[in-house]
Amino acid sequence: MSEQTPPDAPPAYTLDVDDATNTIRVSGTLRLNGVAAYQPITDTLMENALSWPQCVLDLSGLAFLNSSGIAMLSRFVIDMRNREDASLTIIGSKSVVWQGKSLRNLQRLMPSLVLELK
Amino acid sequence: MTDAADARSRSGAASPGGWRRGLTARLAWVSLIIVAALSLIGSAIELTLSYRDIRTNVVVETNAALDLVMESAAEAAFQLNPTLAEPVTEGFLQLPRAAHVVLYDDFETLLAEGHKSDPGAQPLANRLFGDVVLYERPLDRAGLVVGSLSLTLSENYIAGQFWAIALESLTVGVIRTLAICLVMVAVFFLIITRPLVQTAAAVGSVDPKEPGNHLLPMPKGHRDDELGDLVAALNALLRQAQIGLDQRDAAERELTDLTHRLEDRVAERTRELERANEEIQNLNRRLTEENVRLGAELDVSRRIQHMVLPSQAELDAIGPLDIATFMEPADEVGGDYFDILFDGDRVRIGIGDVTGHGLESGVVMLMTQAAVRTLVAGDEAGLPEMLSILNRSLYGNVQRMGGDRSLSLALLDYHPDPEQAGFGRVKISGQHEVVLLIRDGVASVIDTEELGMTVALVDDVSPFLASMELAVQPGDTMILFTDGLTEAADVDEGLYGLDRLIRVASTAAATGDGSAGIRDQIIADVERHRGQKPLYDDISLIVARPR
Repeated sequence: MSEQTPPDAPPAYTLDVDDATNTIRVSGTLRLNGVAAYQPITDTLMENALSWPQCVLDLSGLAFLNSSGIAMLSRFVIDMRNREDASLTIIGSKSVVWQGKSLRNLQRLMPSLVLELK
Repeated sequence: MTDAADARSRSGAASPGGWRRGLTARLAWVSLIIVAALSLIGSAIELTLSYRDIRTNVVVETNAALDLVMESAAEAAFQLNPTLAEPVTEGFLQLPRAAHVVLYDDFETLLAEGHKSDPGAQPLANRLFGDVVLYERPLDRAGLVVGSLSLTLSENYIAGQFWAIALESLTVGVIRTLAICLVMVAVFFLIITRPLVQTAAAVGSVDPKEPGNHLLPMPKGHRDDELGDLVAALNALLRQAQIGLDQRDAAERELTDLTHRLEDRVAERTRELERANEEIQNLNRRLTEENVRLGAELDVSRRIQHMVLPSQAELDAIGPLDIATFMEPADEVGGDYFDILFDGDRVRIGIGDVTGHGLESGVVMLMTQAAVRTLVAGDEAGLPEMLSILNRSLYGNVQRMGGDRSLSLALLDYHPDPEQAGFGRVKISGQHEVVLLIRDGVASVIDTEELGMTVALVDDVSPFLASMELAVQPGDTMILFTDGLTEAADVDEGLYGLDRLIRVASTAAATGDGSAGIRDQIIADVERHRGQKPLYDDISLIVARPR
């Protein structure tokens, strides 16, 4: 699995937070270098998800997520699972290769997670 | 010498100092010659007319004088009286031009003779008037010839009168010629030469650097003639030249300006480039260091990966199963792992794929191999228990390493049936790619997703672990692989795919080939698909058949 990130490459992803629909939409490709590099994204996810009654994470436009990103996502899901009142929906895409198994694993980590594969 | 001074010195030829070669002098000479020639012709005509007048006058006047004295002369001849004849000859000699008078009677006897002293006719006078100086008259009285009168005129005297007239005519002619010439030259000088010379001097004093600043003065009274046209044309030329010079100066100033600005910009750009170059060189040094480091890491990873793969001799020594393996690392080595362990009874197979690449993935792969081998050697627990311990151990180490590697991992445990050769049971646990079991040309696709969880991702995977068991019989073919195979891309980025793998593996298994033959057919087909496309990820393949 190739995930080398050229130094100083422009961000290849976008992160939109929509308060009205409680949706965080991540799209593009995420190849940040190491778990620490994902901390700002983790913070954004947690901050919003905790202030909303329920959180929708739309990853259907995320064409690539490297292993550090999957580790980050897994930890986010486990954190959500550990909060009794948390409600999380993840929207994925069947046509994106990495998402199939990885998203189903997330669902297994948090059985209450609603997974919508488009 | 400057251009201006040069122009002035050349214009000197037309100034008053250069009269002899000037237009006025030429006009003077030409008009003098023409007027003199005309005057000469006029004088010649005048002289001719005068010559004829004098001759006529001489003849007429002489005859008139003869007529007057004819009667007295006849009377004297008739009487043969010299006393009467004397006054006749004396009377004739009173005529200024008479030279010699003789009176004869009818017997040719001289009655009277008179003459003036005459030095003898000059040849030219004789030629001009020799034919009009002799007069013979018979003397007639009452019808009888009584004698004759002979009169000779002085040629010199007549010629002298003629010369006097000629001299006067010549003098008048010369004076007239000179006067006409003088008037013509004066008029020509005033009308043409002087304004021309003034204009030439003005042209000579034009400053070539500023030709349009002092235009030529218009000569008085010449505004509408050819000279005026010339001056106007010259002034237009000077103004045009001034415009041209002004434009040239403006262009020059602009060019100088641009050059200065360009120099400034070049200097600034050079400084920027120097800074950029320095940065690039720094970056390059860092990149070179990084590349050396990465190259060394890749090398180490590749060696780690190959060092711990089972050897062909080991595989050949596995009694119950005929096993063939294949591994091709990608250019940037991925983290494929597989191992086959035979303890003389059971065959354990592990296959997995560590995320990422490079040294870290290689190390996780090595730890996985060591941990699996250790656990298999202990041989105390079932596969899920082994996986749970494995996960805890790897998770701890991955956290130490920075925590972004994880792996898919499936473990298989083959128990040959001690009663029946070629029969056996295989247990499968852990989450990895699908496992294919081909029997009679039909492939069963065994999904391992629910049998485990990504290893080293969370601290405890025990809630997600499960296992399953399959019966194996002679002729069956088991296929294990990593996603590098099904995701091998062709030149159009088309993936090889699970369906094609199943089709090719099923066909190959049906040929009755051994595991090595089946493996070779599958790999050959993958190579056909890939063509020249480089590998993005490691490809691993295990083919196992009971024997």
